[in-house]
Amino acid sequence: MNQIVTVGTSHHIAPLDFREQLSFSESQLTEAFQLFREHPDVQETAILSTCNRVEIYAVTHSKDGCAALSDFLSNYHQIEPGQLDKFTYSHQNLDAVRHLFNVTASLDSMVVGEPQILGQVKEAYAQSLTASATGDILNRLFTKALSVGKRVRTETNIAAGAVSISYAAVELAKKIFQSLEDKTVAIIGAGEMSELTAQHLVKNSVSKVIVANRTYQRAVDIAKKFSGIPLEYDADLSFLVEADIVISSTDAPHYLIDRHSLAEIMRQRKHRYMFLIDIAVPRDIDPEVSKVDNAFLYNIDDLEMVVASNLKDRGQEAEIAAQIVKEEVAKFQLQLQAFEVNPTIKALHQQFQGVVSKELEVCVDKAQLTPKQQQTVEAMTQAIIKKLLHQPTTNLRQVALNSDLIEVVNNIDGEHVQYVRALQEMFGLEKAANTRDTED
Amino acid sequence: MNSRFFYTLLLVYLAASILHILFLATGNRRIAKFAYWLTIGGFVLHSGFIVVRWRYAGHLMAHWYDSTSFLAWAIILIYLCIAYRTRLRTIGVFVVPAAFIAALVAYTLQTQEDTAIPVYLQNYWLIAHSSVIFLAYAAFVAAFGFGLMYLIEEKKIREKQHTLIFSLLPALGRSDELCHKCILVGVILMTMGILIGMLWTQYVKEVKWTWLDSKVIFTIATWLIYVLQLGIRQTLGWRGRKTAYSAIIGLAAVLFTYVGVNLFLPSIHAF
Repeated sequence: MNQIVTVGTSHHIAPLDFREQLSFSESQLTEAFQLFREHPDVQETAILSTCNRVEIYAVTHSKDGCAALSDFLSNYHQIEPGQLDKFTYSHQNLDAVRHLFNVTASLDSMVVGEPQILGQVKEAYAQSLTASATGDILNRLFTKALSVGKRVRTETNIAAGAVSISYAAVELAKKIFQSLEDKTVAIIGAGEMSELTAQHLVKNSVSKVIVANRTYQRAVDIAKKFSGIPLEYDADLSFLVEADIVISSTDAPHYLIDRHSLAEIMRQRKHRYMFLIDIAVPRDIDPEVSKVDNAFLYNIDDLEMVVASNLKDRGQEAEIAAQIVKEEVAKFQLQLQAFEVNPTIKALHQQFQGVVSKELEVCVDKAQLTPKQQQTVEAMTQAIIKKLLHQPTTNLRQVALNSDLIEVVNNIDGEHVQYVRALQEMFGLEKAANTRDTED
Repeated sequence: MNSRFFYTLLLVYLAASILHILFLATGNRRIAKFAYWLTIGGFVLHSGFIVVRWRYAGHLMAHWYDSTSFLAWAIILIYLCIAYRTRLRTIGVFVVPAAFIAALVAYTLQTQEDTAIPVYLQNYWLIAHSSVIFLAYAAFVAAFGFGLMYLIEEKKIREKQHTLIFSLLPALGRSDELCHKCILVGVILMTMGILIGMLWTQYVKEVKWTWLDSKVIFTIATWLIYVLQLGIRQTLGWRGRKTAYSAIIGLAAVLFTYVGVNLFLPSIHAF
């Protein structure tokens, strides 16, 4: 019987240098697909290779499909089998299906809910598809896996809430201003975190960046990165009148902005909202500032707290997502079972069709029917085939759907397989089905 | 039949209110969608009801009952316009229950209906004057809703509580702007309503226009609250919390003008 298997590695169990060793470049992918096509045991393949994970999915004939994939990996990348076993995992059938669903649902990612993985799987599937490496079963599996990924993202809040400090700052800015277009950011001082945050803000179409520093040259250097306006400041903070978002990270030992000076600035800017982010330690902005109307102050601790609570929320959402994955695995199982009886149903139809068209030919010759009469008789025979086969087809599908899940997980043939065998014997379908296979 | 019909309408509004609140509690967008369509259903029912009653009773606005029912209808109308244009559903959480309450009040007033109506009220002046005024009131109810949304969201941001409600409510800038727009629309409608009322007295002999009528005085006072707010926003740039508070105070004034005046003070206005 066919098996769905996967062998792979990820950041969970393998260090980066091992993942690098196992990864596939664009040209290696083509090569690998070619090698798999010639592989006697492997029918279908798809390869997912990202910086966090390398996984091969395959449909195999052999009893131990995982071993076939492991052998391939160790030969292709010239890795000792011992080391390969240590840093890879393998799954079969439903476990393999569940694993892929977990991957697309981002439940297996370093940060649960991260958005990239869905696109990466989509891309990997598209590549495998263009290389004609996949077939009926993997096509179904990947289409389903992608839809599971989408479902998890729409039905849970797994991707909600920023999980890094700079994104948390951008998210907050959007909660205050709605749109960041035509907004101005002022960066006071320098620092990795403030530059990163400013970069995210620029990506979200902030229109103007002011970079203020005590030394002008330093300001010019930083401003270059965002095509910002460099500014040398001393005690004069009047440039803040223009600023909607202020990121402060100087090493000043005292407060740069206090409540009074900000109240005055707010009056001058007609109380338009101002979002102040204080990343400096010791702090640059007096916490009293948050009492000024329409000014909102967050310091580094506040942002870290937001990130921590978002991560916690994602953890809860992940439980709901896991439930969805469980449901979808069960549904996919049913699809697979129905899929297993399809060739038999098709063969049965073809056999009936063959007999009918032969007899029809004889009949048309003998009775010398006009084209119109011929059409009527043909339609009648089609209807007879349809009606005769309707009941057995429905029953077979029903049996396949009702087959015990546990049997299939344990690789024991379900009840539907016995039905399929019986049908094949009674109607001599085996031969027909086999000839069709070789034709393919 | 009339009363049973209105009872059904009440149930629809109640269900829509509960669903909107449920949406805010769970964040489930399917619930929001359902709540929205249920509200549309209620609106269609209500519109049909008003038309039928107009034809059957021959007047539209001559009773407390009809006017309050119209107010509920107008609130839903304004909500649907906002929801359609902005794709915002959260405002429904604050506004649809208000419409439900108005409809409930109308329902309890039903017993007092159909006293004789003076002839001078049976004309289009009444309809024009009061429907425009009630549309203005409905806009003020929506402004009140946005004001509340602003205050809740601002509290969440200041207290650094990034809960589900925080993520569902619109940005401060948006709530504030929509609150401002609703006040602006309300003021324009109210001004029109007052002018129509003044003109009306010129054409009807039974009533003399007077500045001293209590309803008129309080209406002007309410109008002034909103106009002042608009002026200060324009000149000094007051916005945010101050706009939200004035939307709340303004609605309190509206309620007093609409209900309070009739309870405590004499007036030529029936409602």
